[in-house]
Formats: sequence, C-alpha cells, structure tokens
Amino acid sequence: MIARPYASFARLRERDPVHWNEKFGLWVVTGYDPVVWILRHHELFSSAVIRGVEGAPYPPVLPEDAPLFDEVRTFRADQLVEQDRPEHLEQRKTVHSFFTPTAMESWRPFVRRAVDELLDELWPRGRMNVVTDLAAPLPVRIIARLMGVPREDMDTLRGLADSILHLNRGEPDRLRPLTEGIRGIVEYALPFVEERIENPGDDLISALAQGETDGVFTRHQVLVNTGLMLFAGHETTMNLICNGLRAFIEHPAQWDRLRGDPDRFARTATEECLRFDPPVKSTQRIVAQEAELCGKTLSPGERIRWIIAAANRDPSVFEDPDRFDIGRQPNPHLSFGSGIHYCLGVALARIEGQEVFRGLARRFERFTLETDELCYQPSIQFRSIESMPVAWGVPA
Amino acid sequence: MVRIGVDHGLCVGNAMCVATAPGVFAHNEHRQSTVVDAGGDPAARVLEAAANCPVSAIRVMDSETGRTLFPPEPGARS
Repeated sequence: MIARPYASFARLRERDPVHWNEKFGLWVVTGYDPVVWILRHHELFSSAVIRGVEGAPYPPVLPEDAPLFDEVRTFRADQLVEQDRPEHLEQRKTVHSFFTPTAMESWRPFVRRAVDELLDELWPRGRMNVVTDLAAPLPVRIIARLMGVPREDMDTLRGLADSILHLNRGEPDRLRPLTEGIRGIVEYALPFVEERIENPGDDLISALAQGETDGVFTRHQVLVNTGLMLFAGHETTMNLICNGLRAFIEHPAQWDRLRGDPDRFARTATEECLRFDPPVKSTQRIVAQEAELCGKTLSPGERIRWIIAAANRDPSVFEDPDRFDIGRQPNPHLSFGSGIHYCLGVALARIEGQEVFRGLARRFERFTLETDELCYQPSIQFRSIESMPVAWGVPA
Repeated sequence: MVRIGVDHGLCVGNAMCVATAPGVFAHNEHRQSTVVDAGGDPAARVLEAAANCPVSAIRVMDSETGRTLFPPEPGARS
C-alpha cells in the first residue's frame, strides 16, 4: 500500500469516491470532482487540524517522548497552513506577493545555476543517491537564498531542514530529532527576524517579519512560519525530483522524448511528474459545517482526508490516466491543491522541477536503478522515497 | 478602462484576485473567478490582482488600444 498504492486508490475511487473508513474513523475522498468541491468550500472544512488532535500521536512514539508532542503541536498550530479565514487571508497576504509567478521567474537564473553546479559536480562520479546528493541539497540551497541567510550557514540550515523532515516520519523515536529541529530553526531565525524588523530587505524573512510589524503575526508565528517555509519547500521538492526521476527510469521512451528537446518539454514534463506520482499523496481537514457530498452526509468534527494521488488518475478528467505522458495538455492535476490554500510555493516548485529535469536531460543519457526495490517513508501524506541509488555511464 | 479575461481552464479559485480587487472579481458557482465589473476598482488594483494570481489565469488588456497590460510581454519592462 505504501510502495504501490495506485491500484487500491483506483478501486476505492470506482467503488466509493467518498468513503467512510471505519478503522481510522475518517472520510476518504478519491474522486476528482468531490476533491475539487471540498478544496473550494473552505468554509465547510477547517484547516485547523493539529489543534483538534486529542490523545497520543499517531503513529505511536516512545512513551518517554510523549511530552514532546505538545511542543510539536504548539509549533504546528501557529503555521499558516493550519489557519482558517479570516486569519488565513491576512497571513497569506504577507507572503503571497513574494511567491507570484512573475516574482519567482526572476529567480529562475539562480535556480538554473544551482542545478548546473550540482549536476556538473555529480556527473563525473557515475553514480549518486538521488535523495541525498541531489533532491535534498538543492531545495535548501534555494530556500536559503530566498530567505537571505549567509551561504556559510548552509550546513546548519540543511541540518535543521533534515531534522524538521521528521514531521513526516513514522519512527517511534522521531519526536527527539523533530523537536531539536523545531527549537533549532526558531533559535536560528530569531536574530534574522529581529534584524529585519529594523532593516527590512526584499527577502522572505523580511516579508514574514513585516507581518509582525503590521500586527498580522505574533513573533512566534513569524518564527514558526520561517520553519514552515524551510520544510514545505524541502520535502515536497525532494519528492518531485525523486518520483519524477523514477517515472522517467521506468518510462525510457518518455526520457528519450525529454532528452530530444528539454527546453520544449521541461514544463509539461514537470506537470506530468506532479500528476503521475505526486509529492503529497493526500491532505486532511476537519468538517466544520454539515455537508452533502455524493449522497453522503459529512458531520461537523469528522476528519476528512482526500487522496490527491487517486484524483490525479480519475479517468473522468484524464484520458488514459495510468499512462505517463510528458506532453499531456491540459493537465489540471491537484498536486498543488485548489482553492484558498492552493500551494503558496507553486511557482517556485515549478521552476525547480523544470530546471532539474531540463538539467538532467541535457547531461545524462540513461539512468539505471541500483536497487531491486525502492522503499518509501511510511506516510499517508507524503510520497517520499527513502533512498534512490542510480548509476549512469561515464566515458573513460 | 481595461478588458479582463479569466481562463477557467487554469483558475483554481485561490481567490486572491477577489481579495485584491473585490469590485471587479467575484466567484461563480464553481468557485472560480469571474469579472463582475471591469471598472469596479482602479486599473492598478486589477493589475495587482492579475500579478497575484498563482496560476497566471488573469489577462488584462487596454480596452482602447487592445494592448496586453498583463502578463507582461516577454522581454518588456514594466
């Protein structure tokens, strides 16, 4: 179910697109139209999920670590993504204009250079672990630059980013590295926030800090959302790179098509990677007001989780949905969501994906997977490959 | 005056345009943006709303000259 979920998702979507799961006590929505409907009716479905979680964390954690969960909850409850309107709109406005497609386009040359630097260094080696050598370092380098922190802090920031990735892990001992990462980013960001409240620049931390000056954010919210930007731009981009490259390795004809004209196909290929094996498999809300959906009645307080990975392969919207086709157009996948919570970093993610696949296609003729089986993090939310060793031929 | 087009193949109902220029944009029954009154807010507001669209679904033209005001033409400086 974790490694190869698509057949099960398809069965559920065909049989019962809005399904009550008795075991976990939540709604599971897999049809494209109902998912869009939910996403566009934010007043019926609350994003304040973490505040409503009662009792012990799931998956279970070490008993002695249980007190750390409150710290995680306090951190997450102040994140922009956990807010509803009206607070959400005012908070989102503080950073929304930073991430517009036009604003992000001016960062493309920097992203391209960062990709070139990494790939030029990797190419002569003949092999890499895609997760640790390419997918993890690249997004942190870019988000650090957007935040306007010094380049020599890169290792510190990468360490923190790696710790915060435990938000998405299932190991019983995950709360320790996670809380270390949470405390670390708050401590790291504090002097930058203090400085930029005094002397604002055009960087992302300044935009968040301006929110405090304007009375939209508390100091804690500024710090927490700095951590959110680091996390949200990290894991998701990692998954886009790894899942996309896996699709290309398994569909060599599509790889050859991309290699034939990387500039032409980089954009649609990135969208197809996002649709075919999305970085975020599913997200959740709490029902806030009674709602009718596909003949079912959803009641306030019930949990609801929709499966982006299932909706993205709904045959009522996508022709031949299990086919990986890098020229697919239009491609209205739901990998960035929809509605008022639509991914803030969408334009940056697209540029990163386009530049990575373009850069790979221009250099590498063929990748071979150096493992029989790819393992995934045991997460219902993220589609994260744990380790991805690949090799390629380098002329002697 | 400006002429405004919203591409419903792209619009994801992010509603930032409705928040930025509420006199011009409103949501339809699919929760996608539509133009209710092209003159409902100053042109500068409309351009800000178009720039704020995360999927670049809004096109703004000068209704007299037909010139595209947003998105900026490639290579053009605003």
